[in-house]
Amino acid sequence: MFETFLFVLLAVVTTIAAILVIVQRNPVASAIYLIITLFCLAGIYLLLSAPFIAVIQVLVYAGAIMVLFLFVIMLLNLEKEKKLIYRNRLQKVLGVFLGGVLLAQIGMIFSSVLLEGSKGKFPAEKVAALGNTEVVARLLFTDFLLPFEIVSVLLLVAIVGAIVLAKKQI
Amino acid sequence: MMITDYLPIFIFLVVAVGFALVTIFLSSIIGKRKITPQKMIPYECGMDPIGQARKPFSVKFYIIAMLFIIFDIEAVFLYPWAVIFKELKIFGLVEMAIFIAILLVGFVYVWKKGALEWE
Amino acid sequence: MVSLSSYLILSAILFSVGVVGFLLRRNIIVIFMSIELMLNAANLAFVAFSRFLDSMDGQIFVFFVMAVAAAEAVVGLAIIMAMYRVKETVNADEMNLMKW
Repeated sequence: MFETFLFVLLAVVTTIAAILVIVQRNPVASAIYLIITLFCLAGIYLLLSAPFIAVIQVLVYAGAIMVLFLFVIMLLNLEKEKKLIYRNRLQKVLGVFLGGVLLAQIGMIFSSVLLEGSKGKFPAEKVAALGNTEVVARLLFTDFLLPFEIVSVLLLVAIVGAIVLAKKQI
Repeated sequence: MMITDYLPIFIFLVVAVGFALVTIFLSSIIGKRKITPQKMIPYECGMDPIGQARKPFSVKFYIIAMLFIIFDIEAVFLYPWAVIFKELKIFGLVEMAIFIAILLVGFVYVWKKGALEWE
Repeated sequence: MVSLSSYLILSAILFSVGVVGFLLRRNIIVIFMSIELMLNAANLAFVAFSRFLDSMDGQIFVFFVMAVAAAEAVVGLAIIMAMYRVKETVNADEMNLMKW
């Protein structure tokens, strides 16, 4: 009961904040609403008994990535960009229409396909008994060893790429 | 862990948001409002402000924020590793050493490029 | 007990909002935020399936998706800044250097 209430509350706030992200004219306001969306998603991860993912979501997404977004917005001089009002009614109507079509398609797939598969080895109770972080860690550092090491290469490439791009002379 | 175990955090969030909202609301209805140009400047005494607050600021801040995110992700991978470090023994140490070593190459590159210099 | 389909519907809504934002907005920073929304919708679906199919793989995947999202944000925003230095705009329609 309490769980359902929390889910509905978080889902409604997430959806409204997500819609506000894309309708706000000011990018700073968009960024703030995106933070709210990501924060509520962290709450939903808690409902799905994934506390570790929820914490990482707040730490990485709502914390670090949004700081970067705000920095870039502050970095660019957006005063004259605000005056740039983009009006193309046909494109707007078509965009919303296509978004609705996409939503309907995904909904149809969800309702027609049987959403069940062979059950895995980690029911929620067992994970809770073992500890969510421990289970994630054990899988990450044994079964998913290679992807984990490749992430470091990805981050290395990101460092080099960003430094090269951020240099004054390109 | 049951979802009700998170009730204290939920209450904490409600109180924090509620306090902010109540404070803003109360001060807007209780306080007097007499707007004078003197009151509207950021500092009532001292230097007069020059230009706008929304000036673009230096790219140096961006580089620091960007490096912070990359090494933040690295630190996030360290948490689960620390939790089961004893279980993995030397194997865990070696795989994390490789991970850190690859990122250290990036760190040395950034350092040599002078991206950490403030000037 | 909230069912799997309600989580998936929320994920679908978030993804659609991201797609609409991508199509409607011309400010490239907001387009970027729409991409983040879509990534998060995928993450939500991953975690929901992981919970209801009793498998932890979904949560590990979310972990990797977040690492990729961070790398993508860093490089993407660096590209936006480099572009802004050349073109003095964040309007996606005016960024046509690779178009001919």
